[in-house]
Amino acid sequence: MKKFLKYMSPFAPDQSGACGVFYELGGLIIICDAGGCAGNICGFDEPRWLDKKSAVFSAGLRDMDAIMGRDDKLIQKLALSYEQLGGKFALIVSTPVPAIIATDLRSLERMGEKKINVPCIALDCTGTGYYDKGEEKAWFRLFETFAKDSFEKVKGRVGIIGATPIETGYKDASNLKEYLSKKGYDNAVIYSMGTTLEDVIKAGECEKNIVISLAGLKAAKYLNDKFGIPYEIAYSFIPENIVSEAKNYSGKNILIIHSQFAANELRNTIGNTDKIKCATWFMQDKEFAKEGDIQLSGEDDLTELLEKENFDLIIADSDALPLIKATGFNGEFIDYPEFAVSGRLLG
Amino acid sequence: MNKAFFKTTKEIVAEGYDNLPVEFVSNKHLIYSSPATLSFNSPGAKGYGVKRAGLAVPESVMLLVSPSCCGRNTSLFKSSPEYKHRFFFQLLDDTDIVTGRHLMKINDACREILDSLDKRPSAIMICITCVDALLGTDMERICRKVTETHSIPCVACYMYALTREKRLSPMAYVRTSVYSLLDKTKRENRDMNIMGFFSPLNDKSELYSLLRSAGIENIRELARCETFDEYKELSKANFNLVLNPESRHAAQDIQKRLGIPFIEMLRLYQPDKIHNQYALLANALGVKFDDSEYLENAKKKIADFKEKHGELKFAVGEILNGDAIEIALMLVKEGFKVECVFATIGELNYRFLKALAELSPDTKVYSNLSPTMLMYENDDIDCYIGSDCAYYFSDKPGIECCDDTEPFGYQAVTDLFDALDKELLK
Repeated sequence: MKKFLKYMSPFAPDQSGACGVFYELGGLIIICDAGGCAGNICGFDEPRWLDKKSAVFSAGLRDMDAIMGRDDKLIQKLALSYEQLGGKFALIVSTPVPAIIATDLRSLERMGEKKINVPCIALDCTGTGYYDKGEEKAWFRLFETFAKDSFEKVKGRVGIIGATPIETGYKDASNLKEYLSKKGYDNAVIYSMGTTLEDVIKAGECEKNIVISLAGLKAAKYLNDKFGIPYEIAYSFIPENIVSEAKNYSGKNILIIHSQFAANELRNTIGNTDKIKCATWFMQDKEFAKEGDIQLSGEDDLTELLEKENFDLIIADSDALPLIKATGFNGEFIDYPEFAVSGRLLG
Repeated sequence: MNKAFFKTTKEIVAEGYDNLPVEFVSNKHLIYSSPATLSFNSPGAKGYGVKRAGLAVPESVMLLVSPSCCGRNTSLFKSSPEYKHRFFFQLLDDTDIVTGRHLMKINDACREILDSLDKRPSAIMICITCVDALLGTDMERICRKVTETHSIPCVACYMYALTREKRLSPMAYVRTSVYSLLDKTKRENRDMNIMGFFSPLNDKSELYSLLRSAGIENIRELARCETFDEYKELSKANFNLVLNPESRHAAQDIQKRLGIPFIEMLRLYQPDKIHNQYALLANALGVKFDDSEYLENAKKKIADFKEKHGELKFAVGEILNGDAIEIALMLVKEGFKVECVFATIGELNYRFLKALAELSPDTKVYSNLSPTMLMYENDDIDCYIGSDCAYYFSDKPGIECCDDTEPFGYQAVTDLFDALDKELLK
């Protein structure tokens, strides 16, 4: 049965992805929900919540707000918080409730901007999509809204687009910087992790952008069109121990289940790529897929794949292991935690 | 203003309950999911939310029918032994929501659940969320269909965060749901149930001894039922003792369906009030309780603690097994100082607040839910009580007072001071 989970738990939703992109940028973030979605974000999908303060709030919608469509009340609450706390912008992240009642998000943006006089962005998340959908919208709106002016290029400055704790499994930019240094990128700006809104505004300073997730591609294309910044696809954050263990199986039939760019990178690093298939629970772009790569829409798809094909090794988040075992798979398994699946961090 | 909003007890009482500042009225401001209080803002995040609570029925399983976001944090406890193979998810997509077709799939999902399990569950709890609240889904009808098709009890659990502040909140409703599988049976004179919590009362609570002294032989609690047969015995009770107002609706429902009356008590920490409550309970049961020994013990415990540690200055939080304002009142009455309280003010605890204002007018009251708590700077205290305070005052000694095992009565008081003593001696 499609969309039915017997073994796994639901993955990180789009509103978590959207929130993660803006989390460190100094705005007021309002999750337009009754409380549960904001609780999920703060209590589970945003690992920075306990260490790094950010103004993430729930709209605290109640049944009558939804029934009556009281957008003005939300704007009043936003204005009160802005008066108390300030903020460089306001981000309103939609959730299932506003999606169902068809809240006019453009109108919320206009009402919000008029009331508090800072940019107001409303993202149409629904809770039915996964984190990468939310991130894609967020990355695009972030650069579209704030990266408006051209700047003189800074030699060696490289922009990293797509890195969030959900995507990388790291909650702190310092880990990511180490990986980038090893690749020779000492002046990298990892957007939304350890950087500021000012860095986004000055996105035009970069000589090149590196896109580490499919969710960041649309934004990279926007920056290419706007400022002529070239971009390349690369994922530099795969832990050494996973790479070295996986390399032992080079030449064997391998299945890697992870986000598309990370899985592709690991496949290329292992070598003998014809023997390796990549699958993902999340977005997949045919342009970056090899023949046989698969986008999994649910547990059934993976069961079907494993019944059809024989793999010597599966590399995936161990949350999928009970499902994999239930298919009778008796090959080797390497645990590569994927935060959007299990909520486990790498560092 | 850029500082956490607070009012003193005196200022709040001077304005009256009907004129609480906006910051204390949660539907008038954005809600801060403070790291200190995450359990409030996600009905399923921490502690016993609707999802965990729904599985209080022994040997049952749960099907969560929702968008993926609602079940996301279930990973937190899904793998723990008591919940293994008990959670299943039917995820909704946009078309499901627009057409309502997901409702047609629930029966099939239940079949898949039953086929996948080695042992047949006692019941299927179907948990639905804000989505179905807005769609107006008749889940009772769907549950009946599941029961007819698969010959298994099926109960709806409503995780409707949108209705959190209604008279019948999601947590009150789920308490009704988990008792709804009880059938009318012959009541036994010497049987009773304790209602109110999803984990058992502390074994040391004197409540058990006092009830036994009144001739009660079988004291049952939902949380102590390990099998569905044990659960079914709850319907033998001669009366229910409700220790948490959120269980009142469940008790009323049981009274209506099974004819079992109920008595309500509150969890209090003021020894004299505990004594009064026991006297009232004894009166209702037509007996007399001798609680003098427990009362003296509690009083002595507090006196010894005070002598040993002096007049400490406390912060009291609301994420604990009790009411923050009532505990603050107890501390002040016993001669301690309370610098600040983190609390949600409601009709029930406002009367404690009024008493506290008279004895300690300068005690500050904060609302954990106020966005201004992002700017909170620590007050000057010696010691804290409450899990939220553990976050705010991580460099101070204190206790979370938040165990899954529920303290009650004089035992709660003595354990509280024992735990504080232990922490202060570290």
